[in-house]
Amino acid sequence: MKPDLKLILSVGSPLLLLIVWQAVTAFKLFPPEVLVSPTAVIAAFGEVITTGELQRHLSESLTRLAGGFTTGASLGLLFGLALALSKTVERVFGPTFQALRQVPVLAFIPMLILLLGIDEVFKIVIIAKAAFFPVALAAYDSVKGVPKSYFEVSSLYRAPWWVLISKILIPATIPNILAGVRLSLTRSWLVLVAAELIVADSGLGQMMEMGRQMFRLDIVMVGVIVAGVIGFALDRLFQLLQAHALRWKTA
Amino acid sequence: MDYVPHSQIPGHKIKQTGAVSLKGIKKQFNFKDRELKVLSEFSLDVQPGEFVSIVGPSGCGKSTLLRLIAGLDDTYDGTIALDGQRVAGTSLERGLVFQDHRLFPWMTLEDNIALALTNRQISKDAKAKLVADHIALVGLKGFEKAFPHQLSGGMAQRAAIARSLVNEPKVLLLDEPFGALDALTRVHLQGELQRIWLAQGSTMIMITHDVEEALYLGDRVVVMQANPGRITHTVDVNLPHPRDRASPVLHKLKDEILAELTNVPEPSNPIVRLIKGDDQ
Repeated sequence: MKPDLKLILSVGSPLLLLIVWQAVTAFKLFPPEVLVSPTAVIAAFGEVITTGELQRHLSESLTRLAGGFTTGASLGLLFGLALALSKTVERVFGPTFQALRQVPVLAFIPMLILLLGIDEVFKIVIIAKAAFFPVALAAYDSVKGVPKSYFEVSSLYRAPWWVLISKILIPATIPNILAGVRLSLTRSWLVLVAAELIVADSGLGQMMEMGRQMFRLDIVMVGVIVAGVIGFALDRLFQLLQAHALRWKTA
Repeated sequence: MDYVPHSQIPGHKIKQTGAVSLKGIKKQFNFKDRELKVLSEFSLDVQPGEFVSIVGPSGCGKSTLLRLIAGLDDTYDGTIALDGQRVAGTSLERGLVFQDHRLFPWMTLEDNIALALTNRQISKDAKAKLVADHIALVGLKGFEKAFPHQLSGGMAQRAAIARSLVNEPKVLLLDEPFGALDALTRVHLQGELQRIWLAQGSTMIMITHDVEEALYLGDRVVVMQANPGRITHTVDVNLPHPRDRASPVLHKLKDEILAELTNVPEPSNPIVRLIKGDDQ
């Protein structure tokens, strides 16, 4: 396929969606309180940007994401490594870990609200929880999956333990761990917006919730679009990082 | 013993070290409450600088034997000694080449080889020189920065040989080193290994399925049988190196060993009848 055609196809589908959306609102198929037109959304965009509302909520959300995601992902990494490397840790925490990771993050919200209230800590904890499990699982699986032959080669040349870790174990597990981190990053973002919709006094989700309460569906739509674009951008950024870390694969 | 080690043949580097002594090696695996005897009373003495080939059917314990000598497995009965010193664990004095090259995919060829030197207390320059020398020895000059997936199977196996030789081990163990290569590459690398052995002079013990390869390279060929793994027969190959593949002596010996391994007497072959003693 020609690059031009590829571009047209990938830009074409969102464009088509936009046209259909505009047409539906132009013919008033739904009342404007339910479905606002794209032009109204663009206007609302301008409004929330000039008042600085969007920037404020977005930076609140992203700060929360950074805090929760970093905490959750690092703890997940450490826990996953410990689970894979220590038989004792695996015996003690393995079954609990496997059971807890099956519980949807959002199912913890009522309990966490009772325990932590609806303050910042609650949001950080809920995002950390979302980030923790994919990374822990990826770290656990990838260390367990390191071929025995790698350890044998290292043993043959009597490589010191720090060489084993830095030159063999980390490069061998990093592709899967990064994939887990990427999944946990996008999940954290989803959970964050959802949590803010339910309980928050600031953030992108809260902006949308306030919009809904004031029948400002145009602002809700701005939130939907921004949430999508941010999620997409985070994923893409991480993909670039991944490609950089794994460049030996394609060199 | 009327055997003449080829370390005494002119042109071959004479080595005083690298004598491997295996005495009464017994090894068993416990498999579902059953004891599986892998090696039984295996004894063999290898001279410094000698090239010994070991052939035998699958499951005769020949790979296990190499792992024991390399020190990757310490659970066995009997003694394994290198130059009179009992071996314990792995050591830079004993190199091992596997059937698969086992290069790390994220490292360049020279980094892979340098990894073998991480435990050596020598200067960075000395390490770099050892790496460069051994890349040259296996004929891979110009590929220092290549990643394993950019190399052909034969080149990757050469790199693995360079890695195992970079510490200048007293003995190099080769576990079916060419088993995964195509026939032409295999023939080529057999010649290369012979050249490297002559240039470098380590003792080499090679496991193979290929009787022709065993005879072409070995000063001695040890024939094993399975259940339990044991030596049934040792063949001295008193031909100078480098050898001619077409040599009638090699062909005669090949028929002899193949007949023993396949255990099918061939009445049409007088040598087989002679060896097997069933010429009635």
